[in-house]
Amino acid sequence: MALKSSIEFKGTKDGLIIHLNEVSDFEYVREQLIKKLEMARNFFAGAKVAAIEGRSLTENEEKEIIDIINNRFGMVMVEKNNNSIEKEDIFKGLDEGHTKFLRWTLRSGSKIEFKGNVVVMGDVNPGAEIIAHGNIVVMGALRGVAHAGANGNTKAFVAAIKLQPTQLRIANYIARAPDRNYYKPEYPEIAFINEDMIIIEPYLTKNR
Amino acid sequence: MGEVLVITSGKGGVGKTTTTANIGSSLAMLGKKVVVIDADIGLRNLDVVLGLENRIVYDIVDVVEGVCRLKQALIRDKRFEGLYLLPAAQTKEKTAISPEQMQKLCNELKEMYDYVLVDCPAGIEQGFKNAIAGANKAIVVTTPEISAVRDADRIIGLLEASELRNPSLIINRIRIDMVKKGDMMNIEDMTDILAIDLLGIVPDDEYIVISTNKGEPAVKDDASMAGRAFRNIARRIIGEDVPFMELDINEGFMARLAKLFGLNK
Repeated sequence: MALKSSIEFKGTKDGLIIHLNEVSDFEYVREQLIKKLEMARNFFAGAKVAAIEGRSLTENEEKEIIDIINNRFGMVMVEKNNNSIEKEDIFKGLDEGHTKFLRWTLRSGSKIEFKGNVVVMGDVNPGAEIIAHGNIVVMGALRGVAHAGANGNTKAFVAAIKLQPTQLRIANYIARAPDRNYYKPEYPEIAFINEDMIIIEPYLTKNR
Repeated sequence: MGEVLVITSGKGGVGKTTTTANIGSSLAMLGKKVVVIDADIGLRNLDVVLGLENRIVYDIVDVVEGVCRLKQALIRDKRFEGLYLLPAAQTKEKTAISPEQMQKLCNELKEMYDYVLVDCPAGIEQGFKNAIAGANKAIVVTTPEISAVRDADRIIGLLEASELRNPSLIINRIRIDMVKKGDMMNIEDMTDILAIDLLGIVPDDEYIVISTNKGEPAVKDDASMAGRAFRNIARRIIGEDVPFMELDINEGFMARLAKLFGLNK
């Protein structure tokens, strides 16, 4: 087993990141970690550790590692706050924010992922996919899959001149085309979430 | 200098090879010098459809590898003056040639011929990439099935990504009676999604099965509806303005008589 690659340290502005090898077994990795920290005990004492990465640890394994770095070597594990990170990530630029304009038709097999709003100046054909953190507007027929508010914004909408998607997703809500009664919309439509459901209604500028 | 047309579809079994054989023959009938290339290495068919299987000595891989000269591999079709076939290898794989080699080959051939038609294999892998490498224009063949249209759409996207813009569309094996009953996708549904120029509509025709088995392109037979459609397509390719065929006329005499007496719905 290669000794060199089983443990790596990376310095970031938030603190050290300890990278553990995924291939070796846990016992070996733990021993190597202790050995490495032992070699530079003074250097590591008091250091902040931002994260442990590289392999998925069980709860017990993680506790063990944290115990080693905290108690045996006097390093400080920085608590990460998952909730605050997630909240920050939700796209907030629905009214004013990053927008991608695609000036062509998306054909089967193409996939667009964007951390903002997406406007397609063409059709989105069956087999094509758009995943946007914000709103999706299609200036043509939307026949493929569209996911607006993909990282959790339930206020996002999907609008199209012809809204006939294979599947429509907004945040974590999913709607799909009816199995029968294939219909052709004659007017622009808009889809949004209202009371825990995806609602599709004609897009009429008068009522807005 | 000639033109290199690739005939492709994505999905298998929609009639690429039949289309290539018939358009090639028609163009030859119109007095053009034509070479048809079978790019489906390992699954060659075009020679069978053209009835030239027993004359193959060298194939495209031999040419690329320098085993023979290009002229030696070309098979002249005796029925159609000016039609030549460059057959695929049956015992090799798609990786036996590279897109660069294919491009070189096409460039060489278009110096000598008016039209070079490349019969593309199904799929989007190496075989497809080889087939389109030397092409100036693409013809996409589809049938009125959702799966075929979906694949055609993907192919059009890939063609556009390879700088083969504005491909044209052939809708093959349409049955107007079924379209009318609403049991088959109609032409508008397909052109709506694919949004490319329509080059021709070929009706479903039993005669194609017979002609394929006999190794005689359907365009030779005046009675074949599909044959007539392919002849029209060839004339459109050389720049003639040919109206789309009336597909409704194959109603039998009795049916017309019945209609006359109001017996039909």
